[in-house]
Amino acid sequence: MARGLRPLVRGALLLAAASVVVFAATALLPGDAAQLRVSPGATDEQVRALRQELGQDAAPWRLYTDWTAGLLRGDLGTSLVNDRPVLDAVLQRLPATATLIGLSLALAAPAMLLLGGWAGAARASRGAAGAFLTGGAAVPAVVVAAGAAALLSGVLDLVPAVSLLPPGTHPVHHPELLVLPVLSMALPTALFGAGLVSGAVADTVSRPHVVDALRRGRPLWSVAAVDVLPFLLAPFTRVLAVSAGGLIAATTIVETLFGYPGLGSLLVSAVASRDTPVVQAVAMLAAAVVLAGLAVSDAVADGTDPRSRAW
Amino acid sequence: MRRQALLAGLCAITLATASGCAGGTDSGDGAAQAPATLRYAAVGAPAATTADPHGRVGNESDYLRFSMLYDVLTVIDEQGTVQPRLAEAWEPEGDDLTHWHITLRQDAVFSDGAPVTADDVLFSLRRIQGKGAENNGRLSMFDLESSTVAGEHELELVTLQPYAEVGAALASLTFVVPEGSDDITEPVAGSGPFVLETADDTTAVLTRNDQWWGPGGGVERLEITAMPDAAARASAVASGQADVAGSVAPATAEQYAESDEVEVVTRPGGVGYPLVMDTTAEPFDDPEVREAVKIALDRDALVETVFLGYGQTGADVLSASEPFAPDVDPVVRDVERARELLEEAGHGDGVSLTLHATNSYPGMEETAVLVSEQLAEAGIDVEVEVGPPDTYWTEVWNVESFYINSLGGNGFVDFARMALLPDGPINETGWDDEEWTEDFHTALATADQDERYSLLGDLQRRIAEEGGYVVWGSGDGIDLTASGVTGLPTGPGFHRLRIEEVEVSG
Repeated sequence: MARGLRPLVRGALLLAAASVVVFAATALLPGDAAQLRVSPGATDEQVRALRQELGQDAAPWRLYTDWTAGLLRGDLGTSLVNDRPVLDAVLQRLPATATLIGLSLALAAPAMLLLGGWAGAARASRGAAGAFLTGGAAVPAVVVAAGAAALLSGVLDLVPAVSLLPPGTHPVHHPELLVLPVLSMALPTALFGAGLVSGAVADTVSRPHVVDALRRGRPLWSVAAVDVLPFLLAPFTRVLAVSAGGLIAATTIVETLFGYPGLGSLLVSAVASRDTPVVQAVAMLAAAVVLAGLAVSDAVADGTDPRSRAW
Repeated sequence: MRRQALLAGLCAITLATASGCAGGTDSGDGAAQAPATLRYAAVGAPAATTADPHGRVGNESDYLRFSMLYDVLTVIDEQGTVQPRLAEAWEPEGDDLTHWHITLRQDAVFSDGAPVTADDVLFSLRRIQGKGAENNGRLSMFDLESSTVAGEHELELVTLQPYAEVGAALASLTFVVPEGSDDITEPVAGSGPFVLETADDTTAVLTRNDQWWGPGGGVERLEITAMPDAAARASAVASGQADVAGSVAPATAEQYAESDEVEVVTRPGGVGYPLVMDTTAEPFDDPEVREAVKIALDRDALVETVFLGYGQTGADVLSASEPFAPDVDPVVRDVERARELLEEAGHGDGVSLTLHATNSYPGMEETAVLVSEQLAEAGIDVEVEVGPPDTYWTEVWNVESFYINSLGGNGFVDFARMALLPDGPINETGWDDEEWTEDFHTALATADQDERYSLLGDLQRRIAEEGGYVVWGSGDGIDLTASGVTGLPTGPGFHRLRIEEVEVSG
């Protein structure tokens, strides 16, 4: 019982810590929504009046407690830019971004295993190939996006160069609009993840029981499935959780670049207009997703480590 | 392979649950039967999308939507002159030009069926004035407490001082909403050429308002999409996902100049990045230094580099597209004379300045760099400091003594009220000339249009010669359209918002 509760408590504490970081980051940005919302030349008095109207004139600690109290009640507050509920803005864009991240992960995960397995095995025997992954992973999403757009849209004319969702539709109705954004996110993630997986693969394939199995002439696929894969499950889920965090970060760039209406582009413009309730809501959502992913990977590690299993 | 399989799988799932799967890359499915639709990719950050037409409107996409959903009192035409819209006539009562009788059209109807009355108009004007802090004090020339409703379609508007340009003051942004719409966080009924069908923070779908009093023509359906990235807007048109891309960069226009599928439409005088010199701060408090800066610039090179030729050189005249703008000689570069002026001003050893700029708009930073190179040839040592766009308008603009501003299509009278009167809220050049101020008020108290225009033109000329603005040129506003789009507005200022008669064929 107590053991089952521990990850929950730890998750809650981490989330609370994340809320402090998120709030401090928005508070430290120079300028505020009231200053950006008034027209140029407004007097200090007018700025103060608007700040008061927006409920942003209290002390920072007060704003923080009000905000977290609201979060616990499920109230994300209202936007400082257009006075609409933040929850509406987030829910409106959540499906688009969830689809983008989900597809990217679905595409990147098998690629990680295959590439990681190949590079890991290669490293164990000859010590090469990893350089390809490291180099590939170092290419930022924005470059991949530009390259993919130039090739698939510019040269081959297969898909549109921007991903405008027709109003009122879900992205899965328009798979052609997802190709470039998903590719731009999945490719660097797959290489990055494969780099991490290859390390685990290299460790595993040099274990005595694998070396022994190979020496006894068992088929490669059987060794991979029975002797290697179980050892990879825990590191692989952790890599997936970390990759999900990276993917969330990449949406800010990729969505803006392709005009894709998701949470990433919402975050970018909310930061620019100092719409702190929106910034905080999106950032907390991202933090919660990453923490949940890490918690799941911990649980997987606890439950599946073959070394701790009685054969 | 895997990706396609995945997408196909998703399609299959979707097909089973919902409407189905769009096959090709063309999003205008079934366009043959569909009503004529104009898809406009406009400048806008979706997170800043607002439903309130009277407060802070940061997005061009919102302005476009408002001007199609709501009627305004007057509009500016292609030549920059005021034309009636919801207001049929505006006439002064008495000689002092402080009391104005406004006559409204009688056939305007809100989308909920209620007629548009003088009560709605006065309510809307007061609401706009009440949000003055957010909208640049747009109607601050009026005393709306003393203004009254004089009949179902008649108003008496009172101005604080004689104000001959009431027609212009009521132009373009006086969106009329039903009386009692105090809180506009969701769209309210309008009486404009279109009605709202659906909207989220990125895209609004509008359909033709059959009840609208105005002329027919134009499309049946309008989709306005907010897109912050200029290159993405252009790509949207190039790939057939939009019919119009608002405000793209000159480099993009050049890229499509030879294209058959994409057309470049220019709006002269759309943007300008004047240098601002604070005439109350060292060394610009000396008129000779200001003069030296003005003649040391190579304006042709600036227009060529910053706007890639999509623009005109300026001779420091603000709002040069006004019908009353003076005919002034071009400013010819004279580096030697600039050096002499500096010497006479006691700066024989040269001057060191810091020029502030930002990259809010394409070309601002390039302007600063090129200006710095050009001024160096006249012995003015300029260090360029590029600040972040988020804080530029609060920390540099109207604060520093030498920086690059961005002006687009403001009317001269409105701009002068804000920036050239000693008590103007954005008097960034510290312009305080008693005679000039007096003449400005005289102009606004002059009923005769020709006489008034000549006075206003002269005021513009004096600022050009002596003021702190270096209007070295103006760039065209550049829109891209798909072929088949006709009638996109190209006039000055807010003329660009009048897209109700744009046609799409093919």
